[in-house]
Amino acid sequence: MAEQFVGKASEFKDGERQIIRIGEDEIGVFRHQGEFYAYSNFCLHQGGPACEGLTIARVIEPLREDKTSMGLHFSETDMNFVCPWHGYEYDMKTGAHIADPRVKLRKYDIVRKGDEVYVVA
Amino acid sequence: MSSPKASTRTKAAAKAADVKSGARKPVAAKAKSAKAAAKPSLKEASTKKAPAQVDPSPAQKAAFLKAMAAGVKLDSAASRALVKKKGSPFAATQEAVNAPAPAPKVEVLRRIPAPAAIIDTPESKTALALAALIEKAIDSGDLGKVQPHAQQALVAALCKLYAAHAEAGERFNILGQRSATVAATDVMVVCGALLKAVDLQVFELGMWQSWSSG
Ligand code: FES
Repeated sequence: MAEQFVGKASEFKDGERQIIRIGEDEIGVFRHQGEFYAYSNFCLHQGGPACEGLTIARVIEPLREDKTSMGLHFSETDMNFVCPWHGYEYDMKTGAHIADPRVKLRKYDIVRKGDEVYVVA
Repeated sequence: MSSPKASTRTKAAAKAADVKSGARKPVAAKAKSAKAAAKPSLKEASTKKAPAQVDPSPAQKAAFLKAMAAGVKLDSAASRALVKKKGSPFAATQEAVNAPAPAPKVEVLRRIPAPAAIIDTPESKTALALAALIEKAIDSGDLGKVQPHAQQALVAALCKLYAAHAEAGERFNILGQRSATVAATDVMVVCGALLKAVDLQVFELGMWQSWSSG
C-alpha cells in the first residue's frame, strides 16, 4: 500500500469525480461537500462502473407518530451514488449499499497533504 | 649377515608397518594443507574481490525467457536454483524481480464534472420556498392549508411555464431528481386530472404525441 498522488484539491471542484486506475484497481474519487471519498469502481452486483452514475440525495420516508407515512423526501444530509447498470445505490460516506449495509464497496483511504490529494492503494 | 632377499622383505615389512601405524599420514596431510593453502580462508574470501559479473548476453536473456515460457516460474524455488548455477543467464532477470517494484502510476481514465451549477434567481428562490411550504403542509396532514383555488393557480402557471420552455426548445425533465420522491400513482392522478380539465381523452394525447415530438 502506497500513497498515490491523484491531484490538487484546488483543481477538484465540489461534486466532481475522477475515475482513475492504479495498477489493476479502478477507483472512483469523489469530492462531496469539501470531503474526498474513494471507492472501487466495480459494482458489487455485476461489476458495473459503480462510481460513474447519478449522484442523488438519499430518499427518505419519515413517519408520523402514528407510523403513517409523510411521503418521500430528499435527505438534507445523506448523499448516494447510483450504479448506472442496474441501480445499486451506495452511501457516499461509507460505500455501503443503502438497502443492505453489509454490502460495501472497497473503500480507499484518502490522505491530504496541503493542497495535494493522495489515494492509499 | 643377511641375504639381499631378506633385506627386501624387511623393507617391505617396514613399509607395511608404516602404513598400518599411520606413519605415512603426514604425507597425505601435507597434500591437504597445501590444498587448504590454495583455498582462501573465509575471512580472506570475504575481503577478496569477486570476479566482475558479466551481463548476460541478449541471447542468454532470450534463452531465459524461453525457459520462463516453458514453465519455470519467476521467483520460485526452481528459478532461484537456476540462478545459483554459475554463469546462469537467469541472474539478471532474477535481480530485476528482486528489485523493489516501481510504484504504480495513477492513470486518470475519466473526469466527471460536477452537475451544472444551479442559478438561483429571486423568483426561483420564492418558488422553492413555496414548494417547501406545500410539502410541509402535506407532511402535517392538513391538506386544507393550500386551498383548491391556490392549487389551480399554481398548476395552471406551471403548465404554461413548462410548455413555454418546451416551445423554446428548452426541454428538461419535468421532475428531475425529484421523480424519486413522487409516487407513480400521484403522476397518473395528476395527468388524468389535467387531461380531463381541458376535455382531452388519452387517445387524443396519444395521437398528438405520434404526430409531434411531444
Ligand atoms: S452492476 Fe451495478 S447495479 Fe448491477
